[in-house]
Amino acid sequence: MREFRYERPATVAEAIRAVAHDPEADFLAGGTTEVDLMKDGVFHPDLLVDITRLPLRGVRRNGTMLQVGALTTMEELAADRTLMERAPFVVEALLRGASVQLRNMATIGGNLLQRTRCRYFRDPAVPACNKREPGTGCEAVNSVARMHAILGASPACIALHASDVAVPLSALDAVVHIQSEEGERLVPLTQFYLMPGETPDRENVLRHGELITAVDIPLPPEGTRSIYLKIRDRASYEFALASAAVAVIMDGPVIKEARVAMGGVGTIPWRGFEAEEVLREAPATPDTFRSAADGTIRDPFVVPGTAFKVELAKRTLIRALTEVTS
Amino acid sequence: MTTIQQPRILGAGVDRVDGPLKVTGQARYPNDVNLPGMAYAAVVRSTIPSGRITRIDTTAAGKSPGVLEVITHENADHLGEAPATFIKNPQPPLQDDVIRYYGQYVAVVVADTQQNATAAAGLIEVDYDRHEAILDPHDPRAERIKDPWGEDTAWGDVRTALKRAPVMIDQTYTTSENTNNPLGLFTTLASWDGDTLTLHDSNQWPNMIQQVVAAMFGLPRDAVRVLTPFVGGGFGAGLRCWSHIPLAVMAARHVGRPVKLELTRPEMFTGLGHRTSSINWIRLGATRDGRLTAIEHESLTTLPLDGDEYEPCSSVSTWSYASPNVTARDQQVRLNIPWTNFMRAPGDAQGNFALESAIDELAWEVGLDPLEIRLLNYAEVDPKTGRPWSSNALRQCLEVGAQRFGWSNRNPEIGSMRDGHELVGYGVAGVSFFWYQQPCSATVIVRGDGSAYIRSAVTDIGTGTYTIMAQLAAGLLGLEVDQVEMQLGDSSMPVGTAAGGSGLTAALGSAVHDACGRLIKKFVELAGTDPFSPLADVPFGDVEVSEGRLFRKGEPTRGESLARILAVHGLTELSAESTSTPNSADQMGMTPAGARGARFVEVRVDEDLGRVRVARIVTVNDGGRILNEKLARSQILGGTVGGVGMALFEDTVTDKDTGRIANATFGDYLIPVNADIPDVHVEFVGEPDAFNPIGVKGVGEIGLVGVAAAIANGIFHATGKRMRSLPITMDAVMD
Ligand SMILES: Cc1cc2nc3c(=O)[nH]c(=O)nc-3n(C[C@H](O)[C@H](O)[C@H](O)COP(=O)(O)OP(=O)(O)OC[C@H]3O[C@@H](n4cnc5c(N)ncnc54)[C@H](O)[C@@H]3O)c2cc1C
Ligand code: SF4
Repeated sequence: MREFRYERPATVAEAIRAVAHDPEADFLAGGTTEVDLMKDGVFHPDLLVDITRLPLRGVRRNGTMLQVGALTTMEELAADRTLMERAPFVVEALLRGASVQLRNMATIGGNLLQRTRCRYFRDPAVPACNKREPGTGCEAVNSVARMHAILGASPACIALHASDVAVPLSALDAVVHIQSEEGERLVPLTQFYLMPGETPDRENVLRHGELITAVDIPLPPEGTRSIYLKIRDRASYEFALASAAVAVIMDGPVIKEARVAMGGVGTIPWRGFEAEEVLREAPATPDTFRSAADGTIRDPFVVPGTAFKVELAKRTLIRALTEVTS
Repeated sequence: MTTIQQPRILGAGVDRVDGPLKVTGQARYPNDVNLPGMAYAAVVRSTIPSGRITRIDTTAAGKSPGVLEVITHENADHLGEAPATFIKNPQPPLQDDVIRYYGQYVAVVVADTQQNATAAAGLIEVDYDRHEAILDPHDPRAERIKDPWGEDTAWGDVRTALKRAPVMIDQTYTTSENTNNPLGLFTTLASWDGDTLTLHDSNQWPNMIQQVVAAMFGLPRDAVRVLTPFVGGGFGAGLRCWSHIPLAVMAARHVGRPVKLELTRPEMFTGLGHRTSSINWIRLGATRDGRLTAIEHESLTTLPLDGDEYEPCSSVSTWSYASPNVTARDQQVRLNIPWTNFMRAPGDAQGNFALESAIDELAWEVGLDPLEIRLLNYAEVDPKTGRPWSSNALRQCLEVGAQRFGWSNRNPEIGSMRDGHELVGYGVAGVSFFWYQQPCSATVIVRGDGSAYIRSAVTDIGTGTYTIMAQLAAGLLGLEVDQVEMQLGDSSMPVGTAAGGSGLTAALGSAVHDACGRLIKKFVELAGTDPFSPLADVPFGDVEVSEGRLFRKGEPTRGESLARILAVHGLTELSAESTSTPNSADQMGMTPAGARGARFVEVRVDEDLGRVRVARIVTVNDGGRILNEKLARSQILGGTVGGVGMALFEDTVTDKDTGRIANATFGDYLIPVNADIPDVHVEFVGEPDAFNPIGVKGVGEIGLVGVAAAIANGIFHATGKRMRSLPITMDAVMD
């Protein structure tokens, strides 16, 4: 048996200390990513610090903000009434993810940190994977890549960031609370993830031993309409081939304000700033939507298996915009 | 011998008799069995597709906690050749350093716990001399085998007929590799006692495992006992003696303890075979009004380097429709891939997709309703021999299905039926399934209390063998179903055949039928020796049986119970054995027909995104006599789900350079989820089949066949796009 130690500290400070002082230690939340990858032989922590008993669970309303404890499960957050009323697309993204069993285990902090589903990353028998073993190359670029990214990708890595809920959260400019021994820092989700570049093993700004304690979700103004459209091969229990999170404030036939992000296409949850520019103060017409889509899916990096996603992603966004504005 | 009363329980949708055991966790599957002192094995698989092992270092693994033994080709026992049983079995593992495919076993580790075995397996280092692998069926270097089974068929003059045909369809249809994926992880628990061996093993044919293992280990057959009372599904995966089985046996001999080897899900993808991909070239010639004048069907399927496989994809074209000119030819190509193997409806599933798509194309070409063209070309008799069918209700399947589905509501124009963003399409496919039957033995025994049991070394892979054989015998012996127990899954029982080819019910049922007849005869003879018996001088032909009693026809009070006859003669049991063998078509003067069916589906295609949803399915099947409507319906439902999987999702993907199966997990290999399956209307039509005494045609596989073609045909009706390659994914449908 591959042995490891297990600790379940009672306080945030102890948990952070335990991981910070052991370079081979990992936090354990719901375990639906961490334990899977341990079983697959991809992760080999010598210490698991179980954080599930820390007081970081639950959703609090704070003015125009929802503060979500990092250990709130996906199902718990999906049941939040305020969220359902004000930003239903977050709830939709949660409920279209994984399965109910997984969502009862999986936490919001863990969800943001889930690892890519790349089949080459997840099988240590494959020698080339820059994300798993920096400098070894990328097997996926030349292989089966249907589930991979087209935006933010590089020849060094085309791994998709597969979180659903991170997509509407990026659109809403959610903010991540990060705690370390030095103190707390706040990072907007749109600046939390890193593009692979030459270092696909570095996925986000988190340093070893830093703990996500909460995520702030700014609530959009009343009257905002939103949608999360997830396109995949089968009807449920699958990651997105393309997804679109869109929130709009309408003024008659004109879009006053829009937030756009896409999933299934990016190495990080893909905020569509260009699309938002196009949509702001524009009439809700097919032409507008097409330019918004063209603005979002720009300079894709495609391999044969992902080429179809360019048009699929655009049409997914157009469909989401059509539905949310009509 | 018509003394036996018309069975009265047949057909009833009796609940699965093993249901309560299964849902309460009491049914012991091979991986549920634990023995005292048992050790655990974990396998190591090759990570190259072709080459030789140059070094294998087991030092670290050998020192790993709990490890009892590490076996590689360097210290493996030399084993005997694996005999072919209907089809070849893999030759014994670890006999040399040659690698033939990615995922081949190169070592097995035995330890005190599964975790220790698995961890140590990860410590084994293997160096290879990698050779270039042949992985592409079109690779000119690959060995091609023409007419692999000597079954290529031709009649008439296809070439001339095609040349003269006013209408011709000439197309290529391809299907992907699929993996059987039974839910139960295949497990072998091997336990030696001196020179005898007991195996608790997941398979579909215990006597086959017994024979192959005995040969490899140089044992008399009787020295090997294979127990498979329950198996968590098979879909064909259990029809060969796969290499993990001798590995477990060898490991148990090395450590002198029982050894359990349970495969992991990824290992199930490389270790148990998979459905071959197929390329089908079809040419149809027809008159302008849609009557077939020629069918030419050629197929190419794949083989591993050292195995064989029976997948005659083209054969469906020799019996499905009436055509005066037919050629059907198959070829295989050898690749450095894991074994290809039977999977639910081998050959037929792929061949039907091709033929039924081509027939549909022809219907559009000549402007005929796709339903009409199938009725028009219905084969009244076996088109190859001109003999009558033993039964064939394809026409009824199509007609009844069309009615249930509401086919007449179909607007024939492409893309004319729409609902919001969705284009609606109706698709139909006919199914003519192959016929298959092998010899099978069974013993039927009546106990002193009048109850009965049946013994045969077959398996119930979830199809309901336990239940339907109890029903069959109960009907024949005049007992209640719960008075009859089917005992199976033990190689020491009367020799059973495979639960495969949809042929078990006919084979075993015929044996049970005959054994019951013989048994009644024995009872009548026994009663005849007792001058006080009310049946003393009643001739056998005048005896009927009901409620556990024999009595004179038309005179129910003149009789005696089976229990009493045994008691009078001081017997605790009376038994009769029978071995069924399939009838000969020549002697019967008819062609045995497999099951027949029709599929009607409504598909909905998102016009922008290309996503296909199946909204409704009507599946009508002729399975001859249906022994248990509920269980038969379950078979058709499960097959339908498999058919939707084959059509839209299932695709065992191989990395083109390494030959590694890239999606060997349930996260990556998509099978339908509940949300993908609409309401399915299942119906049975037809008559008892004339080829076997109980009138059945198996229904284990047919449910899957035709679903893919009906979906593809529906997509064409919805979109005008012809999908000739499976699975049909949105990128192909999207413009
Ligand atoms: C079969 C399957 C299907 C799935 N489908 C979907 C899907 O459709 N959509 C989707 O979005 N997701 C999907 N997921 C992913 C799932 O949502 C994530 O695995 C889950 O959200 C992770 O949360 P967890 O609490 O289990 O994290 P864990 O597995 O416990 O942790 C994940 C990682 O984050 C670290 N970590 C956890 N919490 C913290 C914290 N507070 N601070 C710092 N580090 C932390 C851990 O050390 C670990 O490395 C699927 C997963 C599976 C297994
Ligand atoms: S895409 Fe990224 S994660 Fe996948 S093999 Fe390439 S480097 Fe590894």
